[in-house]
Amino acid sequence: MPNWEMPIKILALVAVLTGTPAVNAISDQADSLASPDSFAAIADTTARSAALFAELGKVLTHPRCVNCHPAGDRPRQGEEGRPHQPPVARGADGHGLPAMRCSICHQAGNFDPARVPGNPEWHLAPREMAWEGKTLAQICEQIKDPKRNGGRSLEELVHHIGTDSLVGWAWTPGVGRTPAPGTQQIAGALADAWVKTGAVCP
Amino acid sequence: MTTLRITINGRPYGPMDVRDDLTMNDFLREYLGLTGTKFGCGAAQCLSCAVIVDNADGTSYTSPTCVVSAATFDGKAIRTVEGHAKNGELSVLQKAFIEHFAFQCGYCTPGFLNEGQVLLERLAKKPVARADLEKTIAEALDGHLCRCTGYVKYHQAVRDVILADPERYLARA
Repeated sequence: MPNWEMPIKILALVAVLTGTPAVNAISDQADSLASPDSFAAIADTTARSAALFAELGKVLTHPRCVNCHPAGDRPRQGEEGRPHQPPVARGADGHGLPAMRCSICHQAGNFDPARVPGNPEWHLAPREMAWEGKTLAQICEQIKDPKRNGGRSLEELVHHIGTDSLVGWAWTPGVGRTPAPGTQQIAGALADAWVKTGAVCP
Repeated sequence: MTTLRITINGRPYGPMDVRDDLTMNDFLREYLGLTGTKFGCGAAQCLSCAVIVDNADGTSYTSPTCVVSAATFDGKAIRTVEGHAKNGELSVLQKAFIEHFAFQCGYCTPGFLNEGQVLLERLAKKPVARADLEKTIAEALDGHLCRCTGYVKYHQAVRDVILADPERYLARA
């Protein structure tokens, strides 16, 4: 069980004991994403911020995202995060080795007849942005650290999650791949609400 | 549908209307009859289907054709195994492959040939030190699978071509 599930359950328990329905708004289904408004009834800002990130965590820990935030130099693929076939490596710039660039196979869009996903910006996240194998709390601390989030401010992070084209591919991954939960718009709104409530980590 | 214009081995083809779900491999083999480009794994894992793509700046790279649509090659210039020999004479690299008995069944050979040729062209523009040569060749050929002779003979053939012309391919110590 990922470590971040326990804080959510604690929040849910608090909600039940105090009679607030707020935490019930957190979507229990992995394939859906609750909007920031669903958390409005959590009076405590710190708890609300952590709950918002926990909801956003459904996206961040989804295979569509983690597969290209690997712990090593080789991307993952599939729902189970198996090693990428053919064997490829990130290379100096995250776009592959000179003889095997990502863009050689991953074109501007998905090519479903060959089941190859695509986006014009296809590449791996930098090594310091690896999420694979980390708890949501660890990802949260990491994602706030400019040294480990691509040098982004929190506002830039919200923009990245909410509008980046390659991030957005996670919701239109093509045939045979489960999309990230919800929509990119909701994910961006959750990130925005999380930042505005203090960017508290679960 | 996409209207495709492409240059292959120096010869222009098109405009031709192609389905957007047509792979480049099927286009080469079934539409144009250029069967030198092979279909192997169908998943870009063996690279027997690789062709050379020429950039406008004079650089080149290899691309698999089995997982890429023909439509994405619109406007590009490529080379296939059929384009290496000139006026009936094999290229230096082709001759080296034969001299080293680099292949048996030959199914993977077009991919290795194209990859080796791209490496030669890359080294001609950006030579490497002799000490880095083995690693450079290994990395270049790394993605290609062979199930007959293994990889050593291909490696040796490419290396021999490079060492035969060190002024062109190797950086001065």
